[in-house]
Amino acid sequence: MIVGEQKSIAEIKAIIAPYKKILIMGCGTCVKTCFAGGEDEVAVLASALRLACKKDGKDIEIEEFTVERQCENEFIQEGAPAIARNEGVLSLACGAGVQAVARRFANTPVLPGVNTTFIGVLEKQGVFTEECSGCGNCGLAVFGGICPVTRCAKKLLNGPCGGSQNGKCEVNPETDCAWQLIIDRLKTLGQMDNLRIYVAPKNWQTSLSGGPRKMVREDHMI
Amino acid sequence: MTENFKPKITLFHCINAFGDADELALNDKDAFEIQTVKMACSSMVKDVFLLRAFEAGADGVIVMVCPEGQCRYIEGNIRAKKRVAWVQNLLDEIGLDGRRLFLNNMASGDNAAVNQAMDNVLKNLAEVGPNPAV
Repeated sequence: MIVGEQKSIAEIKAIIAPYKKILIMGCGTCVKTCFAGGEDEVAVLASALRLACKKDGKDIEIEEFTVERQCENEFIQEGAPAIARNEGVLSLACGAGVQAVARRFANTPVLPGVNTTFIGVLEKQGVFTEECSGCGNCGLAVFGGICPVTRCAKKLLNGPCGGSQNGKCEVNPETDCAWQLIIDRLKTLGQMDNLRIYVAPKNWQTSLSGGPRKMVREDHMI
Repeated sequence: MTENFKPKITLFHCINAFGDADELALNDKDAFEIQTVKMACSSMVKDVFLLRAFEAGADGVIVMVCPEGQCRYIEGNIRAKKRVAWVQNLLDEIGLDGRRLFLNNMASGDNAAVNQAMDNVLKNLAEVGPNPAV
């Protein structure tokens, strides 16, 4: 999922300062799971902003609405009446959601309320960790399902650096050494021979380094 | 301290901490106005409920929960404690002062502890004054 973190109240107050009627629009997918922008977070933020503005003597009307996914027009459309009633939208979706709403409603200011942080997993309740960099050329088959591009501080592709201690990274002792995890996993899978495979230097053209990417599925186009 | 300030207090309580507000033998009842909200377990106290109590005009909000280790649902009071701490930070961030929100662990029927907690609450509220967002 895409993991995000809500901006501070002070920053959000500054972002919405020019508006008197604002819609806080949540997204019920990734940012809901990471407690940044689902229906509950929309309600809490709306309440906090109403209190903060009232305390400061500022008149503001805040409306709340959450769609299933803000990155798809089909779902965004459900928010059209609420968007029309307000001067601007404070989106609690990831950056893709903010831009999708902005694209659909060209005359409405759409403002970000969340910092989009990384692609990650729920490690345990309340803890999210980055596990994918979206590099555009997945090599997980060789690495036993553990990504050294994301999880090794040095992004090494052909074995460990030798600096890890007790399975922890020398760069950050709180982080597991990705290569320790890879070797442990390959042992479990009986695939230690994978370590003999030479992995060529990564071609980063498929990553964001090559500019914004686009995926086209002709078979789904109308 | 604001003169003649009679704080409005919203009390969220777990029914296992005490069944009904009538069971509370509160001292000095004229010193405050109180509104109570019963919950089947203190874990049901969501962030937004606490904030909306302030939006509705409360000067202070108290969450009364069972003593740690004695929650009927194992960890309800721990969850409530974490949510209260989160909302206290939020109140500080928006300038309302987190000292308006209190969490008290109390054993069922311990009226002395309730009155002691209430004294602390009133003392804190006298310092922070009326809710500035009303």
